[in-house]
Amino acid sequence: MDAGVRIALEDVSYSFGKGALEKQILFDIGTRIQGGEIVILTGPSGSGKTTLLTLIGALRAAQTGSVRVLGQELLSAKEKSLIKVRRKIGYIFQSHNLLDSLTISQNVQMALQLGDVKGRNDKQRVAAVLQRVGLAEHEHKFPAELSGGQKQRAGIARALVNRPQIVLADEPTASLDKQSGRAVVELIQDLAREDGSAVILVTHDNRILDVADRILHLEDGHMKSLSEVVSEGTSRMLNLLEKHDPNAANYLAAFSFALARIAYADGKVSDSERDEMRRILHEVAKLEAAEVDFIMEMSMMQRRAKAGIDNRINNPAFDNERAEHFIDSLYAIAQADGVASSEELIEIESIAAEFGLTPNASSEPGSALDTNQRRDN
Amino acid sequence: MFGSIPLGWLQLKAQKLRLVAAIMGITFAVILIFVQLEFREALFVSAVRYHTAMDYDLAMLSPKTDFMVSSKQFPRGRLYQTLGFDGVESATAVYMRLVSWRNPVDPSNARNILAIGFDPSEPGFERLLSAEQLEAIKIPDQVIFDRRGRDEYGPVRGLLDAGQLVSAEINDRRVTISSMYEVGTSFGLDGGVITSDLNFLRLLPTRAKSAIDFGLIKLEPGQDAEEVQARIREAIPGDVRLLTRQEFMDLEVQYWNKTTPIGYIFAFGAVMGLIVGLIIVYQILFADVQDHLKEYATLKAMGYTHGYLRNVVLQEAIILAVLGFLPGMGIAHLVFSRGADATRLPLEMSAQSAVGVFVLTVAMCAGSGMMALRKLRAVDPAEVF
Repeated sequence: MDAGVRIALEDVSYSFGKGALEKQILFDIGTRIQGGEIVILTGPSGSGKTTLLTLIGALRAAQTGSVRVLGQELLSAKEKSLIKVRRKIGYIFQSHNLLDSLTISQNVQMALQLGDVKGRNDKQRVAAVLQRVGLAEHEHKFPAELSGGQKQRAGIARALVNRPQIVLADEPTASLDKQSGRAVVELIQDLAREDGSAVILVTHDNRILDVADRILHLEDGHMKSLSEVVSEGTSRMLNLLEKHDPNAANYLAAFSFALARIAYADGKVSDSERDEMRRILHEVAKLEAAEVDFIMEMSMMQRRAKAGIDNRINNPAFDNERAEHFIDSLYAIAQADGVASSEELIEIESIAAEFGLTPNASSEPGSALDTNQRRDN
Repeated sequence: MFGSIPLGWLQLKAQKLRLVAAIMGITFAVILIFVQLEFREALFVSAVRYHTAMDYDLAMLSPKTDFMVSSKQFPRGRLYQTLGFDGVESATAVYMRLVSWRNPVDPSNARNILAIGFDPSEPGFERLLSAEQLEAIKIPDQVIFDRRGRDEYGPVRGLLDAGQLVSAEINDRRVTISSMYEVGTSFGLDGGVITSDLNFLRLLPTRAKSAIDFGLIKLEPGQDAEEVQARIREAIPGDVRLLTRQEFMDLEVQYWNKTTPIGYIFAFGAVMGLIVGLIIVYQILFADVQDHLKEYATLKAMGYTHGYLRNVVLQEAIILAVLGFLPGMGIAHLVFSRGADATRLPLEMSAQSAVGVFVLTVAMCAGSGMMALRKLRAVDPAEVF
């Protein structure tokens, strides 16, 4: 394992129950997480993300595959080595989980006295970490005397006081309003960056996804790619819109089509131009802010294709394999109605040319079967 | 390994009402245990007051005698036989019987009192009676009164202390009381009078002089009581029992403890106190663990061991034991000083019994803590997420 890799998962599966009642929760999960990386783990409830978090957090022993945390293999690990790993991890909980009968500084101290370095500087370290989370003047208060956001900050102080190499946070914003939720996430982000910790953040909260360096999405125990998740979510929502308000759907589609053609025609859109576009869409077209966002994003999607064309020399979206799949599928689509018309073939060739991809000239455009054979060669 | 934060104490302190309830419960249990054990102890100490006060090395009694107050007679000749054995210095015949005493100021009020008779020229009662008193009872119908007897016998003590002679009626015979000795009451005995064997027989004219209740045998200095006892036993028939001082006392204690339900009742009372305490502490600790399950799971997730959490619960148990014991001991002390006045029983809290009850209290609390711990084992750190 490289020095920078804090967490390495390979083929991790996990099941609850035994015999007939056995239910598999995780299927062949694999990933590596480096120090300084902030990874957000999303997925609907029941997708297994909490189970995955408890496996990484050494709160359960792994059953199959390999879970290496800070160099320690947790597959069928004994309680003793699990406890050892736990002490090196900072946990931030959904509802702060502070000890009610202890003051804020005593709560932090509970974590501190588990750390490797003990004694002399404990007081200063507690004071310093509370300063960092902005709770310096509350150190002698009890959790019940603090607001939700302050309690969560105290929880963060407790998790970070030992400068852990890994921070695990489970829905840290779930019980907070938008503003304090945002502040808490940014705090975790800043502190983790300072300490170079690897952070795994489980959340349902779409508003905080942008702090992530990487997003892992779990669904029914399987890891899914982000593109799959976004496509699925978006198409489902568009279908909904189509069904319940087809006029609005058409209006928005028209705008996004038009915008892609006009506003992005010259391929150059400055930030001020973009702001102006938003203002016009809002004031002249009477669209709500979210609708404006949607149109901008949709037209941007189409504009991205054009950017790809303009930058055909080094287009990372198309490696050789993808390029081949792209062209093959276009031919197959043209044949979908039984016959590929000449108009369709011309169009495919011009698209391929625009993207800088060459359709295999030696082979006649043929059936989907043919293209598959060609790929196999 | 861990330690700077006294989590157990902080958790107890955080719930003041529960803490007070717990302390009150334990205090109650401690008082109950103290009182029951102390009454039981007093029963045994008081039951052998005369056994302790009389001077003898070996005691002779009828095999039918279970306890002192209901003694059966045996032939005086058996006692005098022992004088023929090497090592025996003297043998004193003692007569004992409950007799009816009439209150000297309220003669309609009759009450049983223990009458003891012996030959004042023989040894055995030096610790109880002075030389003058030994002389005084040689006068007909003179008796010495136990100043620590119950007040129901009348204001004898007050009258005598004021310098007056008291005249009372025993078994319809007028006697004179000129002085007092000091022994005290027990569960079977409210008070006593000591007099000469001749005066004793005057009070009980139907009793034969040759049928005695106890024989007090004194050995020559340096003699081994058990050795002499064995020699005498071998030679005389089995119609009398010959016991050492300790055996004599054990017989009495045994009777009250085993043959009567009294010893059992007090022991049972103490056990009940223990169980009440156990249940109270268990309830409190269980509720406490229950309330903190989520916090304990959090601590486990942070890397605390099961052992640490166990120590937290036991710490709570010990703190409760100490906080409950101290007021319990104080109140029990108060109860004893009042009870000693009211009952004339030797109710005194010895350091030994205080330590004993403290150990019992700690054991009780720790035991409850251990039971409450079973809940702790179910704490799964994985459930905090």
